[in-house]
Amino acid sequence: MLKATLRSFLAHKGRLLLSALAVLLSVAFVTGSLIFSDTVSRTFDRLFASTAADVTVSPKEGLDEAVPSGRTATLPAALAERVRQIDGVAAARAEVDVDGLTVADENNEPVGPTTGAPTLGNAWNPNDRSPVELTSGHAPRGPGEALLDSETAGRKDVAIGDSLTVIAPPGSFQVRVVGIVTFTTTNPGAALVFLDPSTARTKLLGDPRAATTISVDAAQGVSDEQLKQRVAAALGAQTYDFRTADEQAKSDVEQLGGFLDVIKYVMLGFAGVAVLVGVFLIVNTFSMLIAQRTRELGLLRALGADRRQVRRSVLTEALLLGLVGSTLGLAVGIGLAAGLIELMGLLGMNIAADEMVIGWVTPVAAYGVGLGVTFVAAYLPARRAAGVSPMAALADAEVAGVGRPLRVRAVAGAVVGAAGAAALVGCAVSERTSSAASLLGLGVVLTLIATVIAGPLLVRPVIRVLGGAFPALFGSIGRMSQRNALRNPRRTGATAAALMVGLALVGGMSVASESMTRSFDQQIDKTLGADFVIQNTNFLPFPREVTDEVRDTEGVGLVVRGRFTPVAVRLPDGDRVETTAAGYDPRLDEVANITYTQGNSAAALADGRLAMDRDFARDHGVRVGSTVPVEFQGGRSADLTVGALTDQDSAEGFGTQGGLYFGLGTLERYAPGGQDSALYVNAAPGTSDDELRAGLEATLDPYPQVQVRDLADYKQLVHDQIAVLLYLVYALLGLAIIIAVLGVVNTLALSVVERTREIGLLRAIGLARRQLRRMIRLESVVIAVFGAVLGLALGLVWGLCTQQVLALQGMAALAIPWVTIVAVVIGSAVIGVVAALLPALRASRMNVLAAIAHE
Amino acid sequence: MSIPAAEHAPGLASADGIAARARGLTKAYGSGETTVLALDSVDVDVVRGRFTAVMGPSGSGKSTLMHCLAGLDTVSAGQVWLGDTEITGLRERELTRLRRDRIGFMFQSFNLIPTLNALENITLPMDIAGKKPDEKWLDQVIDTLGLRDRLGHRPSQLSGGQQQRVACARALASRPELIFADEPTGNLDSRAGLEVLGFLREAVDHLGQTVVMVTHDPGAAAHSDLVLFLGDGRIVDEMPRPTAEAVLERMKRFDVIRTRFEDDPMSPEEN
Repeated sequence: MLKATLRSFLAHKGRLLLSALAVLLSVAFVTGSLIFSDTVSRTFDRLFASTAADVTVSPKEGLDEAVPSGRTATLPAALAERVRQIDGVAAARAEVDVDGLTVADENNEPVGPTTGAPTLGNAWNPNDRSPVELTSGHAPRGPGEALLDSETAGRKDVAIGDSLTVIAPPGSFQVRVVGIVTFTTTNPGAALVFLDPSTARTKLLGDPRAATTISVDAAQGVSDEQLKQRVAAALGAQTYDFRTADEQAKSDVEQLGGFLDVIKYVMLGFAGVAVLVGVFLIVNTFSMLIAQRTRELGLLRALGADRRQVRRSVLTEALLLGLVGSTLGLAVGIGLAAGLIELMGLLGMNIAADEMVIGWVTPVAAYGVGLGVTFVAAYLPARRAAGVSPMAALADAEVAGVGRPLRVRAVAGAVVGAAGAAALVGCAVSERTSSAASLLGLGVVLTLIATVIAGPLLVRPVIRVLGGAFPALFGSIGRMSQRNALRNPRRTGATAAALMVGLALVGGMSVASESMTRSFDQQIDKTLGADFVIQNTNFLPFPREVTDEVRDTEGVGLVVRGRFTPVAVRLPDGDRVETTAAGYDPRLDEVANITYTQGNSAAALADGRLAMDRDFARDHGVRVGSTVPVEFQGGRSADLTVGALTDQDSAEGFGTQGGLYFGLGTLERYAPGGQDSALYVNAAPGTSDDELRAGLEATLDPYPQVQVRDLADYKQLVHDQIAVLLYLVYALLGLAIIIAVLGVVNTLALSVVERTREIGLLRAIGLARRQLRRMIRLESVVIAVFGAVLGLALGLVWGLCTQQVLALQGMAALAIPWVTIVAVVIGSAVIGVVAALLPALRASRMNVLAAIAHE
Repeated sequence: MSIPAAEHAPGLASADGIAARARGLTKAYGSGETTVLALDSVDVDVVRGRFTAVMGPSGSGKSTLMHCLAGLDTVSAGQVWLGDTEITGLRERELTRLRRDRIGFMFQSFNLIPTLNALENITLPMDIAGKKPDEKWLDQVIDTLGLRDRLGHRPSQLSGGQQQRVACARALASRPELIFADEPTGNLDSRAGLEVLGFLREAVDHLGQTVVMVTHDPGAAAHSDLVLFLGDGRIVDEMPRPTAEAVLERMKRFDVIRTRFEDDPMSPEEN
């Protein structure tokens, strides 16, 4: 039996190739993402472990900064002196490490990475833990000198002797590059500027007695843990955070982790789509192989093979396929990881590819996914194969499975579909975001399953309509291609399902994103009253001198500052909520239109007052007049009184909830040292918008990271950000389409083989090769468009329901991207044409006589 | 048989009343020492308005002859004409068009496209060509073959005999110069077979068509005007106005030869 299985596997290797390709793609994405993230995290583990001091003393940080506040926490530099006295300390250094700088070259272009990695300003404290060494020039001496890392210098063509502008929180200053430092370890992608320690303290922190951390080296024979205990005991355990080298490295890796996790999840998302779509392809391939081999299987059964043996034979074949696909996928995955590492190198993050880490999890996951997918996908076809009766050996060679009624599918599809529809309706009428979101998820999964099950039932009615014009347009060729697509609804359904899944996702996402875009537009129109908004490109806060310069610009009437700070609020219902609060200048009403359900801006922004969203207040039992204890970053806390409740559309999201805000004075009192994140500017009477804009742009010229935006620019910015999400969706779509095309190719190729005699007959009675190719192409197009129509219909429903959930978050507008939808339908027809290329070529190359005589 | 063929035959009418002609037609398979001659320099004329049967034992080359005459297969040497057109040397595209417009086909089985109904199958060659069928002629063919009430049926809903009648109608529908029938009764029971032969006879007698039929059934061959006997790739005999008994007798002589050369390894297996 095993021999027969092997023979059959080898005999159908061409057919199985496409399935193997699907397995390969999913396995490659899984292994690629695992290897990549393993390699990167190992590299950074090493980097941080080698550069972290034995013990690091840093200011206590209570709250996570979901939105940057621009505040740099400091401790007294003199602590280093105290620490040096502790027994077991070999050395202690007061470090300065400030991120979020902008460093501009002589052309006023930022020299830092454009990829979102930070530009760091440090004190030059050379020691054996330093990740860099001075390779040319000399160490910085005095306020006007700096070192730059060699990669940034190389990228931006900065040489020793060039001058740079450092835009730091306390203010901008000029430095001359006096030396170049080179990374001795992996460069995590950042740009580094070094200043002499006293300059760093004064110019980067604005306080000659401050430092950001104290690095402590242990004396011989003192462990990191012992040292930590002693330092903590000496300084007081509650006063600062103390970390050993291991702990520091771990915390550094965690900070970097967010970015790496994104890459990992994106890759795993791709793997997921590849698996999902691949399953259809494999199911279809095996179903067709079994249909073709009905007689052969019948013969095996007639010769005495029992059901279990037949089933096992098919499953063994599947496992062989999985094995081959996984092995190849593993290899391609390694290549994919190498490519990603290479790509990171282009972005400035240098990871040596020879350090590639392949943990034991990677091959286990690769074979787990590969074998699992093929096994699951082949299980049903294998059962069907086992059900072939011995009589099939004697029966006519009519393809099995065509005529079997679809009643079971109809019932199952209807039941699951009804459940899915109920979940979606529930989601649409639900009032609470969390329950609506979970109902949406459930509904999406159930309706997808229902459509896959019921797909073959929809083939007849939908393709009748889609291909309805074919006979009129293409004559008998059109008629035959339409009917060929209808011939085996199961097969057409399964083939189209692969495309359907991808397009349903795209449909849903594009409706959601289009609706989001429109909602944001409406919100911006509704709430933003300022003539201009001044913001950093990536929403990072900017130095205060920018605010001052803007205020001094001619034609500026009003400037309202907006600033963020992390807070933790203790609410009457006992919840402690960590979120981000905003602080605004008092004349907020002149630059924004805020809807208050109770109170007004004056009450909200008054000293010691606080405003929050009505729904958040209701959920947590807060009323106007309630006193809420608020903890601020840096350890201060205050009891603030709720002065106003608002009806905000976007009170939640991006790490914030509750829509909390108060007066800037309140913020400054309890969380000093922050930087402004936005300036809302109105023109002075008599100044036109154009004049003001020109003036502001001139003012901001020395600050390349800060932009002036009017309403339209601001909308565009939001659009661009949503577009990034869409690009990801389109990339997923691309992958889904590649696999779906493989599926269509597969189906057509098999159909062509099955219809060899028919094709021979058609050629004999005078069908030209060109016409034959067109016939197959049209069949392919109608299958692809069927999948697209089904997918888009499903995606539209999902999109509508998603919009209902978004509406609970205040994104009330609904927009359907018709252009995208039409483009997708046209695109799917093109996909059909492309998928038909090879099968059509193969059919048209068939020898007429051999085809007629084909058994 | 009494109707002059030229009256009915459309297209390029050959003055001498020959529908198809082959000279020195040779078809070889393989090369070098393993060369097998399926057809060995065959000269043949298919007379217009006649029903010609080609007989011979399996391996005699009768199907190959038909395929070469119909432009389905290439020849190794020699020339073939359809009417006045020399088809040897035509390119694939021209051959396809020739088959579509000037030749009708009937095969032993699998004659019909399963997705098309009877009428659509009948008009298929003309549909492919983008031509309108001659309605009067089409009606006549359909009525002659008794298919009027079966036109909307798919092949799977028709009996074997009915399917062959549809195939016959398709072969006739475009009024081709020549109809090739390859074992048209091979898969039918005797009654249905007789019916189909009757229709082919009628197509020749009353519709003025020219039919070439390959068969190994002496009873079927007896319906023709002329039987050509093929043996080892050559035309070895011909018999005008055949009867089943005479054909059977003639075939028996092949059997004798056959017994004598029973283990002949050179006999090509192409049936």
